[in-house]
Amino acid sequence: MLQAEGVQLLCLTASSGVPLFTRGSSKQLPFSVIGSLNGVHMFGGGQGVQLSCCETDRGDRVVWRVFRESVMLIAVSSSGDHTVTELQLCRLLENTWNCMVLVLGQEELSNVRNVERLKRDLRSCYRLIDRLLDRGEDESVMGDLTHCADCLLPQNTSLLQEALDAFTQASESEFGCLLIRGRVAVATEKWWRLVSQEVVLLSLLMRCLSGTTSCDYPVFLPVGSPTVAHRLLRFQLIQGVDVCTLCGPAPSLHHSETELVGRFWSPLMDILHGCLEQTQHSPAPSIALHPDILALLLINRESSRSLSLPGCHTTVTPQDAPPVPSTLRRWELLRLFYTFAVTRYFTTGEMVTSQADPLQEDFSQGFCHVPLHCYLVTEECKCYGLQTPQHQLFLLAALSMPTFALRSVATQTLTSITATTGF
Amino acid sequence: MEHERDESSGAPLLIPHGSVIVADWHRCPDSKEYFSKIFQKKRRKTFGLLEAPAMPPQIHVDTVRYKVFLAGKSGVGKTALAARLGGSDIPTMHYETTGIETTAVFWPVKLKDNGQVLFFKFHFWDCGENALRRFDHLLPSCKEKMDAVLFLFCFTDHGSFEDLSNQISRVSHPSHRIVKLVVGTKFDLFMHTDVTEREIRTFQETSGLPVFRVGGDVNAGLGEVAPLLNALAEHLWHQDCVTASCAPLSSQV
Repeated sequence: MLQAEGVQLLCLTASSGVPLFTRGSSKQLPFSVIGSLNGVHMFGGGQGVQLSCCETDRGDRVVWRVFRESVMLIAVSSSGDHTVTELQLCRLLENTWNCMVLVLGQEELSNVRNVERLKRDLRSCYRLIDRLLDRGEDESVMGDLTHCADCLLPQNTSLLQEALDAFTQASESEFGCLLIRGRVAVATEKWWRLVSQEVVLLSLLMRCLSGTTSCDYPVFLPVGSPTVAHRLLRFQLIQGVDVCTLCGPAPSLHHSETELVGRFWSPLMDILHGCLEQTQHSPAPSIALHPDILALLLINRESSRSLSLPGCHTTVTPQDAPPVPSTLRRWELLRLFYTFAVTRYFTTGEMVTSQADPLQEDFSQGFCHVPLHCYLVTEECKCYGLQTPQHQLFLLAALSMPTFALRSVATQTLTSITATTGF
Repeated sequence: MEHERDESSGAPLLIPHGSVIVADWHRCPDSKEYFSKIFQKKRRKTFGLLEAPAMPPQIHVDTVRYKVFLAGKSGVGKTALAARLGGSDIPTMHYETTGIETTAVFWPVKLKDNGQVLFFKFHFWDCGENALRRFDHLLPSCKEKMDAVLFLFCFTDHGSFEDLSNQISRVSHPSHRIVKLVVGTKFDLFMHTDVTEREIRTFQETSGLPVFRVGGDVNAGLGEVAPLLNALAEHLWHQDCVTASCAPLSSQV
């Protein structure tokens, strides 16, 4: 989607500015522009200034970041209509770097001895990076932006959890995860102790591999194990349901596939089919939403997990009613509203925001309190965000919902979801 | 498709097309109820590890499974071949495979002598060349208990054709029997072909391995993959019969 919005990603060596790769937007920037972008960053560096972001008066944006003093990533959005935010671009750079570490390991990226070789090796990261730029069918997946694991709440979780724990143990591992439709359904305790970016990244990798029956992928964990590779074993149990474990040297893929998978998962065949069917329309089928809700994103801040739910509001509306955005557009709007809310109101220390940006209103700087609720009414929909110490809720409602009702609907929605699911 | 018998090279015997299984069975009317089980909504169905074609209860069909390793230089189209044989969409972009990926393919086959129908379940193992080079554990894992190898070369890259002998010596193990076939990919781009018919004939004569050609139209249906899958089934079945002194169903699961 970022690709469609004209985002281009450049990767150069930090010390010499040699281009390593460019991905994204089909219209490539000329070499001289790439050189200038690197040059201006380098010039700043010489003056003791770190250049991180700039915005042109046409609404284009450039974001720079240097990783481990060896690789510079630059993201350029040239949509010209402010739709790609700084947060999105910053996340893109972080995610791209993490993908590079996941595939190649930190060592190879930090100590560049042979640029030509690195260039060749970096090609093996393209599949993941392109998926970040063009998310394809993952439109309701938010993890790349929120850095929270996209989850799903099927029934029968205890049975699934039991099977997963036993399977993981038999695979001589403590890290196991079951994905349904590319979202985490259950995971072992240790899996949840991985840094949330890693959980998001591994889910992304598994979605990329979803067409195949099983995989044995060497992966470096960007935070947990950036220099030693583990083996990610992934098995497609039935179409749409994948199980994976992070393993050491044993067991072999062949052994797991022929001996373990059937033993632990065949008995759950019907349950897995049930979960798949149940979650066809919504990742949390037990939840009844207010009919005017178009979509929502619920984040558990403590566990860094997220739930993105489509509303039940149909796109067919009575003639005199205002048009309702398409499903795809709802997810886009939700991403935009999330970005809007977390960069302006729900800011945390971790959030990368340039508070000193004079082009933005300096509202939040003037107050020492942290806002708990915020709302926004646009031409397409109404948005409401609220946060508690444990949760953040971002909700999109149809224009037909009265603005004064947003607050109570949002609060009730949060209470009812957390009460029924314990999320 | 050419098959040649070369008994002097010591390579596993090459069996003529249609001598063990019914040739082009997918075109016969009696195969319809079996082949329909590997389709869903007019597309090939992909099967997870717990899934298998669902036959009506009164018909019992045995499944025999084989591990087939796809070997070949980087970029020859190993991943694309696995997708093609499995009937899924062939990736539009070329991406390196940075680990092992397997694809399970069910293929109904009718044996010639007794008319028995079997489901062959091929597990195609595909691993990127660069990954093989970077991580030592991947090649042994691919070779573990493998039953067959498809050596791939690409018609538009002569280097990949020259690399075949390397590939063959790296994967083969004299002590255990494996079926070996050679597949030339991107045959549809014959305008740009880099490998001549004469070279292929010479290669077949010296190596004793049959060469298949794939490429082009992916919508041609089963006719496009059937010759290769049937030949693979035929060779594997023959090998099993030889190993088990002609006791059938030796690798039944």
